[in-house]
Amino acid sequence: MTELDTSAQVGKVDVAALVEPDRVHGSVYTSQEVYDQEMDRIFRNGWVFVAHDSEVPEPGDYVTRRIAGEPWIVVRGKDGEVRVLANRCTHRGNRLCNADAGNSSSFRCPYHGWTFSNDGHLTGVPMRDGYGSSFHAVRDAMGLAPASAVDSYGGFVFASLNPPAITLREHLGRSTVALDRLLALSPTGELNLRAGWMKHDMRCNWKMVMENNVDGYHALFTHASVYDAVKPAKVSHVPSKVEVYVRDLGNGHSEIDYAKEYSRLDEEFIWFGRIRREKLPNYVAAMEEARGVEDTHRAFVVGPPHTLIFPNLFLAEMNIMTVEPLGPGRAVAYTTPALVPGADEVNEKTLRRTEGAMGPAGFLIADDGEIGARNQLGLAAGSPEWVVLRRGEETDITDETGIVNHDKSAETPQRGWWKHWSQVLTGTTTAPDA
Amino acid sequence: MSDLTSLGAAAAAPAGAVPAAGVDPALASFIYTEARLADEARYSEWEALWDDDAKYWVPMHPDHDPKVNVSYIYDNRRRIRSRVAQLNSGNRHSQTPPSVLRRLITNLEVVAQDADTTTVAGNFVVYEYRFDLTVWAGRYEYRIRARGGDLKLAAKTVHLVNAGGPVSTMSFLI
Repeated sequence: MTELDTSAQVGKVDVAALVEPDRVHGSVYTSQEVYDQEMDRIFRNGWVFVAHDSEVPEPGDYVTRRIAGEPWIVVRGKDGEVRVLANRCTHRGNRLCNADAGNSSSFRCPYHGWTFSNDGHLTGVPMRDGYGSSFHAVRDAMGLAPASAVDSYGGFVFASLNPPAITLREHLGRSTVALDRLLALSPTGELNLRAGWMKHDMRCNWKMVMENNVDGYHALFTHASVYDAVKPAKVSHVPSKVEVYVRDLGNGHSEIDYAKEYSRLDEEFIWFGRIRREKLPNYVAAMEEARGVEDTHRAFVVGPPHTLIFPNLFLAEMNIMTVEPLGPGRAVAYTTPALVPGADEVNEKTLRRTEGAMGPAGFLIADDGEIGARNQLGLAAGSPEWVVLRRGEETDITDETGIVNHDKSAETPQRGWWKHWSQVLTGTTTAPDA
Repeated sequence: MSDLTSLGAAAAAPAGAVPAAGVDPALASFIYTEARLADEARYSEWEALWDDDAKYWVPMHPDHDPKVNVSYIYDNRRRIRSRVAQLNSGNRHSQTPPSVLRRLITNLEVVAQDADTTTVAGNFVVYEYRFDLTVWAGRYEYRIRARGGDLKLAAKTVHLVNAGGPVSTMSFLI
């Protein structure tokens, strides 16, 4: 036991009693039983982000992932289809594929040599004469277990390990606007997520990692050292001075939206170190050729999304983050830059910006990780029992885009996250919100 | 701290060779000073060791190319200054208070040499105490340049044994 092992057992948990519209019970972050329910209801029975098309561009390309602690292979077959297959030999359970990524037409178990094609079929059983006819009768059914559903949007591949209650498009709801906004920065509408994933060991609950990404309140405090010592914020943090919004998009998705403020200023690349377009001539030309002058200007003004897609994908402007829960008090945050195919002059800058902000040594996320660890330590105190999410609740406005607040420090995104989380865990999700 | 003439014998050796007497004491001393300043959170003194064309690199894989791969750290001189300014601000929460650190550096070898720059590599272990004890290990590679009567750090590359991750918060000077 170390100081950081703070998971509390709370017996038989009634999850419905842990979430109210403006507060949540602290045990949602610390209880092993709540965690087990989350893995079951959110990660094994709902849509989760697993990989990006660009990570497996060619037939045979694969990456390995864990979902709810279980090993999976995301692999493109020779038919071009991306499958999500359980990374477990159907014989004695050995983990079949042990690399992070690679290319293979088949996977051969190192234990007894059983071989599976990359579409999951069992193709080889050494010394098969040792098996009787009863085995041969069931052999065809001994392929790798596939995820029940795999679908993608804009190259982002999602899976539902068990049969999903809704389609991916229904799950994504209004968050497709954010995905489109990111893709609008690429002349081809495609992204390259092959720069590598930084894997940051976070000593906090996975939901803290995600919720914090759309917390507009913490930046002035958690990240004071950046604004004071390195560079000022890109636009003011004072709500009355800016047109920056937070938004609950429904289905647990939420965002901080700078589009209106950037549009009001009508200035390109505020979100990219205020770089002048003259410094990116090839990229600008490719964008204008593909999208026209006006749409290009608009894309450069409004920039990328800052949007959380429930439960494990964060469109972190020009970064993509996903989170892997590892228990109530531990998670790994994976981050990679969103690169634009062919736009080297942009990509090299994006890489350096990613390193500056994100990951274990990043100027921002290192401190978020520290605050998360301390949050986990603080929650070990049983009193007060509740975490308060009331900021901005009286100024939330509902419109066609969701529940919106014109103060980016409002806890509107968190209220939206928890409402949906509670519905998923208690099985009371009704029609998708959008 | 250094005497340019003391580099002469090493410079005359064939490329890649390790002088029989080991790494020049002035270079070793420079490396140990850099380590101690990092261990003791003497950020500004540590920053002053760097040359103008500095590169402080912690890759995710030894074969990675910073033009196409993301690194944990890939600081030029300007970003080193920012990193130190942030640490000096008192509000770099992940280093407030600073981690308690001590590192061991061993197996030093000269791996390359040109007129004014010597590349020295060695293994390291860093013990970091924060919430509990974290052990970091790997290989350091330093490019150390003789400039005026002084030594300057032109590049430091840190190949972590666990570069493949997951990696704990690493906001101290590794």
